[in-house]
Amino acid sequence: MTISFNEYIKKFDNLVQDYIPPRNNWTPADQAVYQPKNYFTIQIKEAQELKFKAIKYQFKRHFKQNRMYHGFCKEMKITDNDIKSYEDLEKIPLIPGEFYKDYPTGRDFALWLANLFTGEIPQVKITGKNPSFDDVINSFNSSGLVVSYSSGTSGRHTFIPRDKRTFLMSEYAIAKAALSMAYPIWEYDMHGYLLMPNPFKTNIYAGKVCTIYYDVIKNVKAAIDREINTDVIKLSMVGGDGLKSKLVKSALARMNKKIINNIIKWLEKNNKEKNKIVFAGAPFILHAVTNKLKEMGKTFDFSDRGAVLTGGGWKIHEDKRMPHDDFRKQVKEIIGIREEHCLDAYGMVEGNGWMVNCPEGHYLHIPYSYYHPLVLDDEFKPVGYNEWGRFAFLDGSTYSYPAFIISGDKVRMLEHCPVCDRPGPVLEPEVSRATGKEMRGCAEELRRMISADLGG
Amino acid sequence: MVSLKEMKDKGYIPQRMYIKMLLAGSFSLTKTLLLNMSDLKKLRSIHEGEERYVRPPREYELPEYKTSMKICKSDEKFLRPTLYCDHTEPEVVALANKLGAFRKPDWEYAESAFYLVKEKMTLEILPFNRVGETLIRGTGTCFHLITAFIALCRAAGIKARYKIFAMNMIQAWYDAVVDVDPLIKKWYDSMGYFMLEGEGEALIDGKWVVAHVGPKAERQAAAGIPITKFGEDSIGNWFFAIPGTIMKMESIPYGFSTSTKLLKKIAPGSMERVNISILKQIEKGRKIIEEAGGLESYDKKARGGKKPAKPKMEIQTKKEIIFED
Repeated sequence: MTISFNEYIKKFDNLVQDYIPPRNNWTPADQAVYQPKNYFTIQIKEAQELKFKAIKYQFKRHFKQNRMYHGFCKEMKITDNDIKSYEDLEKIPLIPGEFYKDYPTGRDFALWLANLFTGEIPQVKITGKNPSFDDVINSFNSSGLVVSYSSGTSGRHTFIPRDKRTFLMSEYAIAKAALSMAYPIWEYDMHGYLLMPNPFKTNIYAGKVCTIYYDVIKNVKAAIDREINTDVIKLSMVGGDGLKSKLVKSALARMNKKIINNIIKWLEKNNKEKNKIVFAGAPFILHAVTNKLKEMGKTFDFSDRGAVLTGGGWKIHEDKRMPHDDFRKQVKEIIGIREEHCLDAYGMVEGNGWMVNCPEGHYLHIPYSYYHPLVLDDEFKPVGYNEWGRFAFLDGSTYSYPAFIISGDKVRMLEHCPVCDRPGPVLEPEVSRATGKEMRGCAEELRRMISADLGG
Repeated sequence: MVSLKEMKDKGYIPQRMYIKMLLAGSFSLTKTLLLNMSDLKKLRSIHEGEERYVRPPREYELPEYKTSMKICKSDEKFLRPTLYCDHTEPEVVALANKLGAFRKPDWEYAESAFYLVKEKMTLEILPFNRVGETLIRGTGTCFHLITAFIALCRAAGIKARYKIFAMNMIQAWYDAVVDVDPLIKKWYDSMGYFMLEGEGEALIDGKWVVAHVGPKAERQAAAGIPITKFGEDSIGNWFFAIPGTIMKMESIPYGFSTSTKLLKKIAPGSMERVNISILKQIEKGRKIIEEAGGLESYDKKARGGKKPAKPKMEIQTKKEIIFED
């Protein structure tokens, strides 16, 4: 017999009690995140009330307690008294995501991070005259904060200063969003494979936010079980030909081969033991596994016993982009996991919002009880539904920094999913990067030269 | 013969960050070239029937040098001659005098020098040379052009310096140009952090004013970006500096010219193709500006949807952050 949704979520909430603050301490922000049973089926009116209160509450805090944001709001001629109704939310000044990429180095980096925080921060001791990014972040995190960053494919990471409460909310939200959409397949006794770095050994947000995976799944293995820091990322992505870079690259290459073989062995074991499995993380790893299995002529049937949640991923390891449909088909063909059990999540380090696609139509559903999505035109003014534009959001959940952000992604938002009956807004599944201003310069010309010549 | 003291003092000896980037960049490029020899062999020369590069005529008049012309002879830092940037060369003195050196206020003069270099000189990839030669030719890489701007400022007694940084490209560009081809991706990924870009800076009324003289208005229009004015930075607009790589220098350091010389030797055909492409871009940009109703209306349009407002971050010390040696 299928478990009821209420039972299902109750089981989840029981497992993640440590992530939820005591109810008597709930602020409007906590209410918006922890109260809804299902982020994607909550009634619009109820969600809007929760969301408005949460965003208004956080806006007021950031306006009053964050010097940087206060100055920005003053410059934009908006005060906390200007947000009176739901319609006023669009007046809230939005920070371009680029802002969080524009950081100094060494000790100044530590001060830059400290200046981003809203409100008080604990004492942070930083050693060394010229501390690295990792030194600074580790010092902040040893003091009880959770500073994390994007994978930084382009060479610049986005550093976001979360406090513990804000980070726990993000973890809770991603797990709840994924599980709700995957209903009723999740069970605590499942065997999980995290296609990401070990969350306990990295500060990359996409990896770190998966710590909760270990609390909601009984048996979890991490694909990348070594420390991954900014230095390793730099060396593996663009690091040049130094000895250190070579060592890192060759270690990663060996590790990649090992990962694939380990996952295949794990699949064989769980197939034999008839266990229920779930993969979560970067699609390229699972793609590599299915390719290897295809080569080996091997298939599995996890049709009733398997689920996949993809998201994140490191661009550098994607030689080809695989359309989501093809990915799902290949997973079904080789591992047997049903297409409707193959979900994809869209989120970013700058916010706690996790959009998960529905099994029916694969549109990305927005958690509209605490997260207010916007699509902006070229003038950075909000446009209506069905228009393409820059994705932006007001996140009512973050305590430690103002998550009122303009992203670099191009999206189209629809008022409702055209396929399923969940009532909230959705994004079309294929999210791409917004076209930035093209740049030129000598170096760029040289790049063009090589492109034109070798490409031609 | 330059003494070691002078080399150090004027910054001829590269900064640590610069050496790091130069070495890493050179190794990466060498490796990419070595691993792709057959492709490069095919591409190193221009084949029969292929379009050739014809250098455009100089767009400004270079006045005759007269010994009576006034010149700054200070030996102060940022005012004295440095590598490839000797402002006492006759061509520089003559042009500086024509632009109003010692007659116009500093800002006005520096702005005239900025517009001459930015709008009347053309980007051409070629090996480094003395600044006078650049002014005679009217073309050069962005570093030739920055040097021309700096020399013109110093000739008029305005302190000027280089601002060099490693930059990376915006995501859309990466997707369109790099990500489409594994070979290009390999090259870019190994070079990405070590591509140098630069700007000039002039000290006016106690403040360093940035001058991004590399792109002509037409090239900026071809790229759909606003036309840079004197004092407007390229960083954050269409370049992003890799954090920690911005270097302020009095002089171009030793070894700087080697890479362009090497490239000219290894891949002259490729260099020529780039130069042809630059002229095409200028032509394309010219049409775009015409269609927009002129420079001003193009610029207004390009700036209209440029970018959203951004908070200002003033980094203040915090009592909670404790630094220990």
